[in-house]
Amino acid sequence: MVAIRRLTRSCAVAGAIGLACVGTVQAKDIVWARYGDIDTLDPHKATSTLSLQVWSLIYDTLLATDKDGNPVPNLAKSWTVNPAGTEYVFTLNAGAVCHDGSPLDASDVKYTVDRAFDPASPSVTKASWGPISKVEVVDPLTVKFTLDKPFVALVPFLADSFSSILCDSNKGAAGFGTSTAVGSGPWKLVSWTKGDRIVLAKNPGYRNFGKLAANKGAPYMDGLVISVVPEPQARLAALKTGEVDIAEPPLDDVEALKASGALKVVVAGNTGQNVFWEFAAHRPPFNDARARLAVGHATDAAAAINLVYGDLSLPEACPVSRGVFGNDQDVCLKHRPNYDPAKAKALLKELGYGPGKPLETSMLVWTGGNRQKLAEVFQAQLAEVGIKANIEMMDIGTMNARVRRENETATGKGSMDMMTWSWYDPDILYALWHSPGAYRGYTSPELDAMLDETRVLTDPAARKAKVQDVFKYLLSKGIHIPLYTPGWEWVFAARPAVEGFQVAPFVYPVFNDVKIADKKS
Amino acid sequence: MWRYVLGRLAMAFLTIFVTTVAVTLLIHLVPGDPVQIMYSQSQGTTPEQIEEIRRSLGLDQPIYIQYLTFVGKLLHGDLGHTIRGHQPVLDVIMQRLPNTLLLASAAMMVAIAIGLPIGFLAAYKRGTLLDTSLMIGAIAGVSIPHFWLGLLLLLVFAVDLGWFPVSGTGLANLVLPAVTLGLSNAAVIARMTRSSMIDTMHQDFVRTAEAKGLPKAVVLHRHVLRAGLVPIITMMGLQFSFMMGGAIVVENIFAWNGVGRMAIEAIFQRDYPVIQGFILTFSTVVVLVSLLMDTVYALVDPRIRRS
Repeated sequence: MVAIRRLTRSCAVAGAIGLACVGTVQAKDIVWARYGDIDTLDPHKATSTLSLQVWSLIYDTLLATDKDGNPVPNLAKSWTVNPAGTEYVFTLNAGAVCHDGSPLDASDVKYTVDRAFDPASPSVTKASWGPISKVEVVDPLTVKFTLDKPFVALVPFLADSFSSILCDSNKGAAGFGTSTAVGSGPWKLVSWTKGDRIVLAKNPGYRNFGKLAANKGAPYMDGLVISVVPEPQARLAALKTGEVDIAEPPLDDVEALKASGALKVVVAGNTGQNVFWEFAAHRPPFNDARARLAVGHATDAAAAINLVYGDLSLPEACPVSRGVFGNDQDVCLKHRPNYDPAKAKALLKELGYGPGKPLETSMLVWTGGNRQKLAEVFQAQLAEVGIKANIEMMDIGTMNARVRRENETATGKGSMDMMTWSWYDPDILYALWHSPGAYRGYTSPELDAMLDETRVLTDPAARKAKVQDVFKYLLSKGIHIPLYTPGWEWVFAARPAVEGFQVAPFVYPVFNDVKIADKKS
Repeated sequence: MWRYVLGRLAMAFLTIFVTTVAVTLLIHLVPGDPVQIMYSQSQGTTPEQIEEIRRSLGLDQPIYIQYLTFVGKLLHGDLGHTIRGHQPVLDVIMQRLPNTLLLASAAMMVAIAIGLPIGFLAAYKRGTLLDTSLMIGAIAGVSIPHFWLGLLLLLVFAVDLGWFPVSGTGLANLVLPAVTLGLSNAAVIARMTRSSMIDTMHQDFVRTAEAKGLPKAVVLHRHVLRAGLVPIITMMGLQFSFMMGGAIVVENIFAWNGVGRMAIEAIFQRDYPVIQGFILTFSTVVVLVSLLMDTVYALVDPRIRRS
C-alpha cells in the first residue's frame, strides 16, 4: 500500500515536470506487469500475443471460448449456417453497449468486417477471416456473412481477439489504435503511453454474455493498469513490494515461489501453443522420411520437459495442441514416431550412418524462456543414437526467414528446427503445410487435398476425421513431430490478496472476477 | 572563436550525414529479405501484402533513390512509420527521448558529485593509504556491470528498505537508475580527475604560485582545480555518450520508459524504421553534446581556439 501511494505521488510530480507518467495508480486498480508492450490497439494491425491479450479486455467478440477451448455464444446469442456452408446468420444479444454509450448492433459488426477487408489497408489477419465476400445488416440484431466458398474455421476465429468487434464510432477517429479505441469489452481505454503503460477503467455498462468469468456484469475493481517491466527480477521485486498485483515471474523462481506460498502461481492451460520438430525437407538428409523419423524416435520429449520445465509444460502427441479441435492423444500416439532409440539407430544404419559416421545437422532454436537448456537436453538425446546436432540460437524472426530460405534451396547442410506456433483451430495446419506452405517446407498434392477438405466439411464429426487423417499423414512421415505444449511459458504470479484471477484458453487473462483484499475502498 | 565553432559545426553535420547513409544501408546489410524477416511473425500475411509493404517502404527502388527519399523525408521531420503498429517513428522517439536525456543527465550529476571530490581528494592525498583505497574503490566501481549493480540496488533500496519504487517512469523512480548509471561513471571521473590534478600540480605556474607564498588552499582552489578541470570537461562529453549507451541496460532493469528500451524492443522485433530513427537520434545527441563540450572547452582554455 505504502509503495502504491508513493508511486502515485511521484507520478504527480513527474507530470508537473513533463515526464511520461500518464494515469496514476488508484487504490482500487489492478496492476498487471508484463515483459513487453502492445504493438497497437487496432486489432487489424498486429498479431502478437501481448497485443491480443489487451484487445480482449477492451473489445468483445461475436463468440467466446469455453474453458475447454470450444467456441460458444457471446455477443451473438445464436447462429445458423446454410447447407452449402456459405452463409452465416448471427443473431446478436440485445443490451451490449459501446464505451461511448451507443448500442452495439449489426452495423458495428459490418463496420468491423468491412474494415478488415478494406483493400486500402486490410487486416494483417485477413486470410484467417476466410473468403468472406459480403456482410449485410438484416436488422439491428441480425447480421449475415456471405462466403465465396465454405470455411468452417470462421466460427473459432470469431471467438478469438483477432475478430474483436470495433464500434462504428471509431470510424475516421483521429488516433484510433493509439490514443482512442472504442469497444464493448469489460474495460475502457483511458490512456496508452507507448512502452510504459496502458490505463483502463472499468466499463460500468458491461454485460458478460459468454466470456469465461463468473461475474456477469462490470468488473469489481475500478481500473486495470498494464505496465511494462522487461526485467523478470524487477517484476518479482514489484510483486513483493505490492507495487504490482499480477506479473510473469522469472521462470527459474517458479518452483521456489510455489513452495514458499508467498505468491499464487497460475499456469495457463490450453494455450494453443505447440512446439514441434520441423525439417528442411527439400535437402539431404531430411528429404528422406527415415532420417526425420530417426530424429523422432531419438527424442524423449517427456523426459526433457520434466527436467527443464517440471510440471509447467506437457509432452504433446498431436500437431495441434490440447484444447484445439481434433486433438486426441491416443490417436496421435499410435501414429507418431515414439521414443525408441533402437529403432532410431536401425533407421540411421539403413541410411548409411553408423558409429564412425554420425548424421550431422543444425538444430535451430529461437531465443527466450528456457529453450536453450531444453535444446541441450535434446542434443544429448540425439547424440545417443548417433545424430550430431549443432545448436544455433537466434531470434524468431531470423529463424523463420532462415527456415524458409533453406527450404527454397535444395543443397547445403541439413537442418531441423524447434518450430513454435499458436492457433485456436487445426486450420493452422493449412497455413503450415498446404502448398506453398508457410515456410515452403514439405507439401504434396494428396496433403493439399486433405487440408482443403478440413476447411469445408461442415459436419464436425466428418471434419474431425479428416483433421485426424492430416495428423496421421504428418506424423507417420515425420513431417511435423510434436514435442510439447504450451510452447512458450505463460506463468502468472499474483499477490496473496488477489482473488479471482484466471487465464482463459489461448492465454487470455481474465480480470472480471478479480477482487483485491487490501485494495478495498 | 567563431571560426572554431563553425569548423566544429561543419564536422557535426558531416558526422550526421555519414549516419544517414549508414542507416539507409542498414536495412540492406542484414542478411535475408528484410520484409520477410519483419513480417515472419505475422500469421496470415499474403505475398501480395508483402509486396505492398515493400513498395510502401520504398524497398523496390534503387538504393540511391531510397537514400534521397529518406533524406527528403527526414528534412520534413518524417522518420517513417513503425512496422509494429504503424505509428510515426518521430512521435514514438520524441515521447521517450526526454526520459533518456533526463536519466543520463541525472546520472551525470551523480557521477560528477561523487567522482570530482574523490579524485581531487586522492590527488591531494597522493601516495597515502586514503589515495590507494579511493583508487581501489574506483577500479571496483568501473568493473561492476550495470546489470548487477542495478539489481543489487533494486533488492536493497526498493524491496528490503522500500524507499523507492521498483519500476516505472517518475521522479522517485529516477533515483535508482541514475545512481546505477552514475556510480560506475563516477569512478571513471575520479580516476581522470586524480591524474589531471596531479599533472597540474607539477606545472610551473603552480610552483610559482606556491613560491609566491600563497596559502595551499588558495593555490589548489584557484590554480590547480581550474586548470585541471579543462581536460575533464572534454572527458565529460564522452562520458555523456557512454551514459546514453549504458541507459539501454539500466532502462530495461528499472522499466524506465526511454529510447534505450525502445531500441532493444525494436531490434528484437526487427522494426527497422525505429532502429534507424534511434541510431540517427542517438548520434545527433552525441554529436551535439560533444560540440557543446568542445565549445565550453575552448571558452575555458583560450589556447584551444588558437590551435
